[in-house]
Amino acid sequence: MLRKRLVTVLTFNQGVLFRTRNFIPDHRYTANFVDAWSVDEIVLLDVTRDPAPCRPHFQAAVSWFAERCFVPLTVGGGVRSLADFEKLLGLGADKVAINTGAVERPELIAEASRRYGAQCVVLSLDAAPHGDGGYRVRTRFGTRDSGMDPAAWAARAEALGAGEILVQSVERDGTLEGYDNRLHRLVSDAVSIPVLGCGGAGNWAHFAEGFEEGGLSAVCTTNIYHFTEASVKSAKAFLKARGHAVR
Amino acid sequence: MIAVVDYGLGNVRSVVSAVSRLGHAAVLTRDPGELALADKLILPGVGAFGEAMERLRAFGLVTALRRLVEDEEKPILGICLGMQLLCEESLEFGRHEGLGWIPATVRRLEPGPGLRLPHVGWNELFQTAPSPLFAGIPEDALFYHVHSYYPDCRDPALVVGESDYGGRFPTCLQKGHVFGVQFHPEKSQRHGLTLLGNFLALDLPDTAAAAVPALSAPPGGRA
Repeated sequence: MLRKRLVTVLTFNQGVLFRTRNFIPDHRYTANFVDAWSVDEIVLLDVTRDPAPCRPHFQAAVSWFAERCFVPLTVGGGVRSLADFEKLLGLGADKVAINTGAVERPELIAEASRRYGAQCVVLSLDAAPHGDGGYRVRTRFGTRDSGMDPAAWAARAEALGAGEILVQSVERDGTLEGYDNRLHRLVSDAVSIPVLGCGGAGNWAHFAEGFEEGGLSAVCTTNIYHFTEASVKSAKAFLKARGHAVR
Repeated sequence: MIAVVDYGLGNVRSVVSAVSRLGHAAVLTRDPGELALADKLILPGVGAFGEAMERLRAFGLVTALRRLVEDEEKPILGICLGMQLLCEESLEFGRHEGLGWIPATVRRLEPGPGLRLPHVGWNELFQTAPSPLFAGIPEDALFYHVHSYYPDCRDPALVVGESDYGGRFPTCLQKGHVFGVQFHPEKSQRHGLTLLGNFLALDLPDTAAAAVPALSAPPGGRA
């Protein structure tokens, strides 16, 4: 049986590993411990606002992880072109996450999917609640309202050739209050490709709720392992006891 | 020395890293001369079948691989798309001819309602027949899969491992010195490295080659 995945998302600002809150880098967090031998997958995101000067540091980090972690590696941040795909894949990424670049030019999804295969193209979709009771897709580090509905954008991305969708809640990021499972369910019901949810996990029960209520194939965390001494293993023990198939 | 065939598709670096971690010298190359020097070949790859075959042809690798694998009987391990390329044909985006060493047609998974495609994540490897690749790997160990197509093999004797996603399908194929795995051993942590190490450590004339049928040219001629 295919296992539900626990994915750790590591955000880098100016080449340094960061934690974030509401997508804003927070300096309090500096050290990190990733139990690379029980996490199922790793996502590395460059969240540097002005990325150009620090890109080499981020790329060095990608290589470092690629050489040491024998689990799937997704890399994103500032990807705008097939040349960016080529660069990240060359550094050892298995999949590339595209966000603002895909919103600005959706054909990038189709072009990358044709060249590298759907499994390589992860649509990173940031969303926040809207005054009308729905959600809107945000771009540019969560700062800009694209006007698009997340479910509709996800479905379009699937049609264009995306292989997975990583949904991040801008509002829940760093809060440890639990996933926005209404958002995750809207997206996971709209597509037939795997959906990864991110933003707000504060305890193991939140992971279970992400699977049960959000319809997620994978639960992602950016911050929880930074705050707790608990390991991925203890999270998995909890989920197994609750009847979820995890590795 | 182990040669990882570089035809410009997919994350080949992680395969090289894994081979190096296992203590073997690895080169990433598309140079037939360098491939000829290798003790074993690894054919990695992710992406679309047709595009991959086109690239292999464009780099002169189809001819080179035929000589090395068919005439010189160099052991080869195909990973993911690389495994599918070992088959006769694929139905991904039309019909495409493969290297033809394994009598199989690569078809799209049809897992049924409620199961998402691509099949992404950790799933069991059921060891359906003995294989030197499985030494030290517990029954039902989990491996990382990411694919939408699988090899529908006409000769059940060549299938040594399966997985289950809305039904069983082959994930490990073995014919003489030709091996293929649908999952990614280089992305499957401990068990993945063990499997890869088993391939690298194979001493074929004494083990696998004697136990399984010899490789023969595919019906329907060569590409």
